[in-house]
Amino acid sequence: MKWIRWKALIPLTVVLLLLVLGTILFLDLTVRRGVELGGTAAVGAKVELAGAHIGILAGNVTFRGLAVTDPAKPMTNLFEADELIFDVGILPALEGKVVIDTMAARGIRFGTKRRTSGALPPRPGTAADDDPSAVRKVVDDWVGQVKIPPISLGTLTQTVNVGAISADSLATLRATRSAREFVDTARARFTAGLQSLDARPTLDAAQGLADRLRGANLRTLGIVGARQATSDVRRALRDLDALNGKLEAFERNSRRDADSLGDRLAAIPAAREADYAYAKSLLRLPTFEIPAIGPQLFSGLIAEKVGEVMYWVKMVEKYVPPGLERQMKKGPVRVRASGIDVLFPKEHVYPDFLAHLAELSLAIGGEGASAGEYEARIVGATTQPAVYGAPTRFLLSRAEGKVGPRKASVSGSLDHRKAPMRDSLTARFSGMPLPTMPLAGLGAAVSLGDGTSELQFAREGDRLGGRFLWRSASVRWTRDTVGQPRATTPAMRLVEDALWTAVSRIDSVEIEARFTGSVTHPALAVRTNIADAVAGALKAQLGEEVRRAEQQVRARVDQLVDAKVVEARAEADKIKTLAESRIAEERAKLETQKAALEARLKELVGIPGIG
Amino acid sequence: MCCGPISFHMMLILKFLQTLIGALNSDGTPFQVGAGMAFGLCLGLTPLMSLHNVLILAVAMLTTVSFPGVMLGWAAAVPLGFALDPLFDRIGMALLTNDALAPFFTWVVNTPIVSLSHLNNTIVLGSSVVWCVAFLPALFLFRYLVARYREHIFARLEKMKFFQILKASKLYGVYEMFRT
Repeated sequence: MKWIRWKALIPLTVVLLLLVLGTILFLDLTVRRGVELGGTAAVGAKVELAGAHIGILAGNVTFRGLAVTDPAKPMTNLFEADELIFDVGILPALEGKVVIDTMAARGIRFGTKRRTSGALPPRPGTAADDDPSAVRKVVDDWVGQVKIPPISLGTLTQTVNVGAISADSLATLRATRSAREFVDTARARFTAGLQSLDARPTLDAAQGLADRLRGANLRTLGIVGARQATSDVRRALRDLDALNGKLEAFERNSRRDADSLGDRLAAIPAAREADYAYAKSLLRLPTFEIPAIGPQLFSGLIAEKVGEVMYWVKMVEKYVPPGLERQMKKGPVRVRASGIDVLFPKEHVYPDFLAHLAELSLAIGGEGASAGEYEARIVGATTQPAVYGAPTRFLLSRAEGKVGPRKASVSGSLDHRKAPMRDSLTARFSGMPLPTMPLAGLGAAVSLGDGTSELQFAREGDRLGGRFLWRSASVRWTRDTVGQPRATTPAMRLVEDALWTAVSRIDSVEIEARFTGSVTHPALAVRTNIADAVAGALKAQLGEEVRRAEQQVRARVDQLVDAKVVEARAEADKIKTLAESRIAEERAKLETQKAALEARLKELVGIPGIG
Repeated sequence: MCCGPISFHMMLILKFLQTLIGALNSDGTPFQVGAGMAFGLCLGLTPLMSLHNVLILAVAMLTTVSFPGVMLGWAAAVPLGFALDPLFDRIGMALLTNDALAPFFTWVVNTPIVSLSHLNNTIVLGSSVVWCVAFLPALFLFRYLVARYREHIFARLEKMKFFQILKASKLYGVYEMFRT
């Protein structure tokens, strides 16, 4: 039987040619769909591509009309690009990898409006860990943690409701309870220790011996009796020494308990201070402390801005993992299940994706201060930095501005070769339009106009730190009586007016925000000269009111805790006194018996033939 | 117009029956039909657009295995492939995360042409492995079933008018080209 069907060679060749032809014909469409689907999955919002052309022989790829939706603003594009041209390596393509030797981009625009929403339909169920919405949730949690409630003037128009302060939530009472419980423990331990000391038999025996030998001499005892008595006295003295040792150990333990009790009592004043602060926070009284006012005014807005930076940092972290460990990513979209693609990074091979050099020419349209031409350069952008072996670096600068001397520069690097990952970003814009920033809770907003803005960001592993700075010498103030209706009482209107007068006199504004910590334990500090003015005005207008309210709060806390604290201290003093007096009493008895026996011993050893 | 979808479904069923009859009654030996069906399983069980399926197609066309058998195996395995995807995913994941196999997969992923096989995808790997394991048992099972069919059922079917119509259709003529 023959096994080869030679006559099928021609049909097979035809089929294979058709496959190749089909691949070539549909390659552009396939790549376009791949970019749209892959981009959409990666960004978490719609990515659209008007056209793609693959020049197989020339080894280049051209994308036209790329629009990437901003996942945070579905009606706005993160950026649009008219044309992107890539020189792609053929050999890496045979390994299914994308290695771009050079990349040029033309007509990149940021923040353009969309005609249709680029939001994705919500998916049922909980987002998977690798889903962009899961990253968004992490960032939202972070933003929620650092946001501080705005200044609340309205609370002062209400009667201070000290009844809202619950005794159960006061730390002082918890500290007092702890001290009381320890008093009971210490008392039980002291009683048990005293019993185990069992001093009475030893002391009674010593006293009996001393009494028996009082006035005794050689004549009454005889030589044998005198020797026996000497031996008895020495043994009794040894017993007293042993008892003394036990008494010292007992005293040490009692002192340790007394120290612990002292620590617990010492914690009560600090707990009371914490309770004052807690009770004050319930009333949301305005603070006059300048460092506290900055976050109240701007933490919401700044947290959102830092959150945007963090979102992209987390996204980069997700797609550019460190090290040479196996990497998992969702498989290709197909009618069948996608499965998971498992990547096996290895040194000295091509990374899965690498752009050796990308040179981008960006344009911001219009006649505004930021309009003009920009140049960006990215070196070593890769999804497998450990394979590539060098950090990704990027630089953006302004080539030509439309209006006046403006400066813009952005630079940074992503070093994900190994854990901990190190990212850094420095951006500085001068002479550019700055945002309008509402003053939370005050019903006013400041348009910063043209000025300087800076962003510094650095992360190492889980730790991150950075600084936002806005500085402007030509600010404009607006009063927002729609977003925040004016106060209803004349007194509070006076306060509002005073605040407005104080801030609207400021010509030059500087706002500096520093964020530190980790994603789970963040901290945000905001320093601004607006806070100085607000603090001054608040103090002048509300100082007396706030001081009175604070006094009421303190009085209420004192009322709730004073009796318990006094009781706990009294109990503590009682057990301390009891312990001290009992130990002193036992020691005195021991010393008396010891002195009596030593006197007897001295008399006995004076007898010839005994000493 | 209202009967359009019904006609389409009917046509699909007829085509499948043609394939079935063509495969089972071709002049090929039961072994050739069984081998064809076993190869066809690969096209249905594993994702179709894979490099190894081009190889399977080439083998099916260039060797004297029954080509209608390949088609039948493919058609029968497509729903099975969809249904077993979760199992393939687990098998593929177990193999790809096995440390002992890591050097092999590192080679696969970083070697030109070989990496285009996408064997680092859990579904592709899992289904390919299942097909490889099932190939020989399937081949002998199909050979046995075809032999039994021809011995007991074919004689009776051949006399039926429906069968004769199907056999006379143009599609059957196409199969003739690949008949042994």
